[in-house]
Amino acid sequence: MALERIADRVVETDVLVMGGGVGGCPAAAKAAEKGLNVTLVEKAKTERSGHAGAGIDTVMDFPRDGVTLPQYVKYWQERHQFLVGEGRAVNPNIGYRLGATAFWSLEEMEKLGLPMKWDDGNYHWMRHLWFHHAKIFLGVHWFDIKPIMAKIVRKKGVNVLDRTMVVDLLTHKDKVTGATAVNTRTGEFFVIKAKAVIIATGAFARSYEPETPQFYKYKMRYHGAPGAISGDGFAAGYRAGAELVNMDIGNCWDYRLRDDIIMPYGTLAHGDGIPGLVLAWTGQEIPYPNFKVYQEVERRGLDPVYRSIENFSEDYHKRAEVAIAEERLISLKLAEDRGFDPKTHRYELMVNKPHNFAILSGLYTDEYFRTSLKGLYAIGDACSGVASCGPAVMSGLLTADSMPDYVNEAGEPVTDEAQVQSQKQTALAPLTVKDGVEPMELECCIRYICERYVGMYKSEGKLREGLRRLGTLRGEFLPKLMAKNPHYLMRCLEVRNIMDLAELHILACLERKESRGNYVRTDYPQRGPSRDNMLTFQRLAKGKAVLEIREVPDLKQEYAKEGK
Amino acid sequence: MPVKIDYRHCIGCKRCYDLCPMDIFTWDEEINMPRVTYEEECWFCGICWMECSKRAIDITLPASLW
Repeated sequence: MALERIADRVVETDVLVMGGGVGGCPAAAKAAEKGLNVTLVEKAKTERSGHAGAGIDTVMDFPRDGVTLPQYVKYWQERHQFLVGEGRAVNPNIGYRLGATAFWSLEEMEKLGLPMKWDDGNYHWMRHLWFHHAKIFLGVHWFDIKPIMAKIVRKKGVNVLDRTMVVDLLTHKDKVTGATAVNTRTGEFFVIKAKAVIIATGAFARSYEPETPQFYKYKMRYHGAPGAISGDGFAAGYRAGAELVNMDIGNCWDYRLRDDIIMPYGTLAHGDGIPGLVLAWTGQEIPYPNFKVYQEVERRGLDPVYRSIENFSEDYHKRAEVAIAEERLISLKLAEDRGFDPKTHRYELMVNKPHNFAILSGLYTDEYFRTSLKGLYAIGDACSGVASCGPAVMSGLLTADSMPDYVNEAGEPVTDEAQVQSQKQTALAPLTVKDGVEPMELECCIRYICERYVGMYKSEGKLREGLRRLGTLRGEFLPKLMAKNPHYLMRCLEVRNIMDLAELHILACLERKESRGNYVRTDYPQRGPSRDNMLTFQRLAKGKAVLEIREVPDLKQEYAKEGK
Repeated sequence: MPVKIDYRHCIGCKRCYDLCPMDIFTWDEEINMPRVTYEEECWFCGICWMECSKRAIDITLPASLW
C-alpha cells in the first residue's frame, strides 16, 4: 500500500492520545482498560513530561463539605471572572459534569494506583484559594506522579511513542481519522490511523516574551507554564477545522512573583487558609492587589510590592517547604544559591501580563469533551474551561470511559494519501533549507510582536500593526525555517504552531472592543454589555480564518435544578 | 553554562538524556556520556538534577536569570 511508501511507519490504533501529561496518561490507561487499542504520542518523555513533570502539590476541584452542585458550578465560574469579569466565560456544563463525577474520578484515580492520600492515610482537604469556606483542594504527594503514571500506562498495554511530535491531524470528510507525526530524534515520519483522537497537549504558553534578556528563551514567566507547551494541540485542532474559543483572553493572574520560576511558594500559602501579607516597600499593607491597584501603587511611588510570610510559624514554613519540594524541588536549591530565605526575605511581586492560554482558551467542547469535529476530543488545559491537573485527570477519565461507544461505531479510519503526502512535505521541509532562519529567532520575533503590539494594554492601531508585521513575517520567513537535525525540526514545527496561534490571538483581540476583567483595551475602556456571555470562536474553513462572536450556552435546565 | 555535568561522577545511565522535557542533552557515543548540546533551551525545571542518582549534574542560574 502506498502509505507505507510515504511513511517510515504506519500505526493503526483505536484511540490516539496526543500528549502524555497528567491528563493524557490516565485517559490512555483508562481507554486501554476498556479494551481499546491505544497509542500515546508524547513530544518529550512520558516519565517526566508536561506541567506535572517535576511534581504537583495539590489537585483541585472536588466539591466537598456539603457543597451542592449548583454552588460548585458557581465557584467554578467565579474563578474565571477575574480574568474576564462578569458573565459566563466558558461552557458551564463542563463544570457541572466535572463536579457531578468528581468522586467517581477520585475512586478511579485510586483504582489506577495514583496516590491520593496524605501521610496520615486520610485525604488532605485544603481550602479553595478564594472561597475559603469551601475545601475543594486535595493536598497530595505527587512528586513522582509522572513516573507512576508512565508505569501505569505501559502496564495497561498502551503503545507509547515518546519523543514524537504530531505534525497535523488527518481528516476524512467531517471526521478526524488520525495524525501524522515525526520522531524528534530520528526524524522518522509516522502515520497514525485512529478512530478517535484525544488532544491532551496542555495549554499554549510561548506567545509572549520571556523575561530573560538574552538566552534561555523557553523559560516562561510562570512556573506553571513549562517550556515545551507551544500549543501543538490547539494549532493541530484548529488547522483540522475544530473550533477554538477565548483566544483573546489569556491567563493573567493579578500578581506574580518576580522570581517565580526560582521560588514559587506552593499552593500552601493560599490553600491552607493563612493569608500572606502584601506590603508596599514602605511596609504599608496593600489590600488584595490587581493591575488597577498596581497602577495606583506605582503612581504613588509605593512599588515594589512584596508578599511576606516571614512571621508565620515554624510549622507553616516546614509545610511550605514540603509543598515547594513536591512541585519544583530545584526551587529550593536555586533560592539558596541566591541567598533567599522566606523566613527573613520577602517575595517581590510584579503586576502580571498575559503569560499563557490555558483556563478559558482552548478547543471548544461540550461537557463530553467532544470538539466541533467528529472523532476529536480535547481534555485538560487543551479544552476551554478545564484547568489544572485535577480536572485534567477527571476530563481524561470521563472521555476514556465513554470512548468505546464512539470507537465501536466509528468504522475503519479512511486515510487520504494526498493529505499525508502534503503533511510530510510541510513537516520535513526545514531539513532541506539552507541559509534560512533558525526557529528560536523566528519564535522570538513572534513573541516580541505579541509583547509590543498586544500586551496588557491593547488598542486597535497597535493590534493592526502587530497583525501586519506578523503577516509579513509569516510570508517572508516561515518557508525559510531551517533545521539541521530532527531536534531543530521539532522547534520549527513548534514555531509554525505558535505563528498560527499568535495570529488568532491578535484577530480575536481586534474583535473584542471593550474592557472587562483583566482584558484591557485602552481605546474601549468600558465593559461592553453586548459582549456579556458572548465569546470569540475561531476556526479554519476552506483555508480561511473564520471568527464568530456568539453566546456560550447556559447551564442546562436538567443540571440547574439538581442539587446534592 | 547553567547545566554542568561532572564527568568524574557520571556513570552514563542516560537518565538525564532520557528524561529532559526540552531534550537539551545529546548522547556522545564515543565517551558513552551525555552532552549539554542545546543549553539555550533549558528552562530550569531541574528534572535532570533531581533524577541524577550520582549527583553528577549541577544547575546554576546564569546572570540573565539571576
